[in-house]
Amino acid sequence: MTTEAAPSDIQVIRPSKWRGIFTQETIATSVASFIVAIAVILPLMALVVNSFLVLDDMGFDTEWGLANYSEIFKGRIIRKAFLNTLFISSMCTVLATFFGVSLAWINARTNCPWREKLEPFNLVPFFLSPFVGAIAWHNLASPKVGLLNNWARSLFGIQGHLFNVDNIFGIIWVTGIFFTPLVYLFVIGSLRRMDPSLEDSARTTGAGLWRTTMSVTLPLVTPAILSGAIIVFVTSAGEFGVPFKLGSPYGYETLTTQIFTKAVGDDANHYLGAAMSMILGVITGLFIWIQQRIIAPRAYTTVTGKGFRPNVIDLGRWKWAAFAYNLGYVFVAVALPILCLVIVSLHPVWQGRVIPNDLTSINYQKVLFFWSPNSISAATNGIKNSFILASIGASIAMLLAIVISYMIHRTKGFGSRILDFLCVVPIGFPGIVLAMGVLVTYIKTPIYATLWILLLGYITRFFPYGQRNISSIMLAVSEELDQSSRMAGATWVTTLRRITIPLLKPGIFAGWVLLFVIFLRELSISIILYTAGTETLSVGVYYLSNFENEPLTAALSVAQTVVLLLCVVIFRKVAGKEALTA
Amino acid sequence: MNAETANGSYLEVANLVKYFGDDRAVDGISFGVPQGKFLTLLGPSGCGKTTTLMCIAGLHKPDAGDIRIGSNAVASVSRGEFMPPEKRDIGMVFQSYAIWPHMTVSQNVAYPLEIRKLDRSEIDDRVREAIRLVGLEDMAEKGATQLSGGQQQRAALARAIVSHPCLLLFDEPLSNLDLKLRERMRVELKRIQHEVGITSIYVTHDQAEALVMSDDIIVMSKGRIEQTGGPHAIYARPTNRYVSNFIGIANLLEGRVTRAGGDRGEIEVAQGESRLLAPCLLAEGLAEGDAAVLSVRPENIEAVKSKPSGPAVEGEVVQTVFLGNWLDCRVRWGEFEWKVQAHPREGLRTGDKVYVCLDPDHTLAVRP
Repeated sequence: MTTEAAPSDIQVIRPSKWRGIFTQETIATSVASFIVAIAVILPLMALVVNSFLVLDDMGFDTEWGLANYSEIFKGRIIRKAFLNTLFISSMCTVLATFFGVSLAWINARTNCPWREKLEPFNLVPFFLSPFVGAIAWHNLASPKVGLLNNWARSLFGIQGHLFNVDNIFGIIWVTGIFFTPLVYLFVIGSLRRMDPSLEDSARTTGAGLWRTTMSVTLPLVTPAILSGAIIVFVTSAGEFGVPFKLGSPYGYETLTTQIFTKAVGDDANHYLGAAMSMILGVITGLFIWIQQRIIAPRAYTTVTGKGFRPNVIDLGRWKWAAFAYNLGYVFVAVALPILCLVIVSLHPVWQGRVIPNDLTSINYQKVLFFWSPNSISAATNGIKNSFILASIGASIAMLLAIVISYMIHRTKGFGSRILDFLCVVPIGFPGIVLAMGVLVTYIKTPIYATLWILLLGYITRFFPYGQRNISSIMLAVSEELDQSSRMAGATWVTTLRRITIPLLKPGIFAGWVLLFVIFLRELSISIILYTAGTETLSVGVYYLSNFENEPLTAALSVAQTVVLLLCVVIFRKVAGKEALTA
Repeated sequence: MNAETANGSYLEVANLVKYFGDDRAVDGISFGVPQGKFLTLLGPSGCGKTTTLMCIAGLHKPDAGDIRIGSNAVASVSRGEFMPPEKRDIGMVFQSYAIWPHMTVSQNVAYPLEIRKLDRSEIDDRVREAIRLVGLEDMAEKGATQLSGGQQQRAALARAIVSHPCLLLFDEPLSNLDLKLRERMRVELKRIQHEVGITSIYVTHDQAEALVMSDDIIVMSKGRIEQTGGPHAIYARPTNRYVSNFIGIANLLEGRVTRAGGDRGEIEVAQGESRLLAPCLLAEGLAEGDAAVLSVRPENIEAVKSKPSGPAVEGEVVQTVFLGNWLDCRVRWGEFEWKVQAHPREGLRTGDKVYVCLDPDHTLAVRP
């Protein structure tokens, strides 16, 4: 090194010590981590504690004990509900996996006609409310007022009824067709990203098409199928709306409907509700843990960044059967229910038949026109509240998601690993379980009975979806793009505002729309946390279904569905085809 | 590196340590760079050179040591001081160029000036000047994604120099370019750095890059400094086996110093019965009797058919590769094979018995 005799009396300027610790970055990330930790951990802790508190016979005092748990396994109704939940979830998983895998295969790997046109419709049920689906199917296929049954009676002269969805199998049917897209998304992504040369090389060894499919293709997509199946199991175990509409009134209870009756209503017992939530949460949490830690890491990464053109199988004449099958799915899952709801909503009273002379728009006036004196406040409140909750909730959740993703992927270390874990936890617990936790945590605070508690519940439960959306993009964006902004003299916040966020913009917007959709149709959290005045859209539907008539319910359902469908269109515009892969 | 040399330095790094987990990526290194000079940190991947650069940039926090840029103490672990990267007034060119894809070239280049809240007209002038300097005038309004690798490289350089920072950092900026472009950009980069006169630190694993561009080179390995010096000194006078081996091609043979006086001496190497006593230049600190390594470059060896007068050993040509202007030969001597660059005129062939003789002025005894 060149040695220069330079004077050693340089005036060295030293940076401020405190400013080194309290940077924008450390403050923002600490605050965000703190919020997430509190929001996620507190309700679950409260749930655990409350589940061990036993209410005495008078209903005033509590003492520690295991009586809540023994009640679950000894009490006739609750045990039945527990078994029903397991049965429904298992069967629903089988149904949704069958539909999901077959539809994904048809769309990704066969020459089924017009499959590009049908593909978006296969995903529509993902965006719609299963509760509304249950209402629609009740009006289609309940024994007395079911439209299909009435048509069957008048066309074929059948006595009694052809279909009945007001039972466990109805629940399985509706949940199954509504959760099919969850499997479909996992499997089609895996099939599309598979390197076709993997199959080609099997064919060159002399294996036939059938042999190749069974010995190469299927094993490669198995992790995706398992992931999808587990998500369906967990989601259907936590589903409240469908069993509430098709099961409860006819004596078929599930854990979620039982938790609901213990959380609200005359014989409310939060402690027993907490214990039931614990049981449900442990089951779903375990399954999600298996999916996240055991199955997902084993998914064969066939991604090489290259766009593959997967092998397409010529089905010959069978391609029309495949087409009919796919069309049939879209018909029963999307077209038929929506059509039915529209028809029902236009009648003053629903008797299972279309009565052209009676058609009216009065139901829409009652549920939509909040200024009208005969409007129903539960419905109009619900619309207003849901839009407030969905837009504010999605914005806060995405902001949190950006900061959290930044922490996880840019500031590596112990804290980021804890955060990564905390972001998976809410996914493991059904909305109704988390809501129960939020309820017992905050019931004695001022935020109870306000929109804030709903907002808190929504964000806690669903911000991981936004976070995943952001994370996947952040992984693809080089860290050096951020670093070069810092080197150019920009602070952390300026970098976030001018570089990071603009680069993540498509992901942020897609995530925002996704959360907006989820919040707009949310039922199982809202039903636990709402009070008079803080109804949401889905609670409005619930209210009308319970205390008013089917046409009014259908009218609000149609309104909700229209907004959700609009969101689907927007979502497809801003997000790519693959953006949904959970 | 001692204190006096550091005092003449514009940038000074002292006892820098950085851990990744339990791994000491940078293991207590110290160096300085005089104002306006171009210093290269050279070493294989994982030697700690990029980590050192990141610590200077402020993108990594050191675990021990001090860093001073000009009159600013930017990091001092013992005092708990740390200046965030954006306050350090450094221009940096990244390995991936990190050109922001959502901006045009001139927006990219203008960014550091906008952050410094300069007048629009001054920003425009300086952006135009920087873009002209790197030769991207035609691409100024193009989106960053439309640029080729070499153009992105130039844009990144323009962005780094536009704010006239006090220090320029380069993190392997040429490693993603193809060979032809890389060779051209070396000269170009050096010209621009010379023109703007900003003190620069350049990280690379490519020795040719280091030799062409640098005023000074620091050869690193395993988080430590192996040798510091100008390109010529590093190539001609490596002081240890690692540097000899890493820079260029060298014949390395373990032996012992048999005579030492000043910087000249003699080293003994042996293969079985055959021994060679080679007069040589001694690396600093070697004394008589010390274990040392004989280091001599293939171009400084002669293989001749008739026995020469000076010290030589007899061997057999086992391989010849004709490369036009020279003949690449392997000459077996016991277990060892000498790498020799012979003149094609010599007409050596496989199987020939030859004498290998070394030039005392270019034969080195280096530390093991």
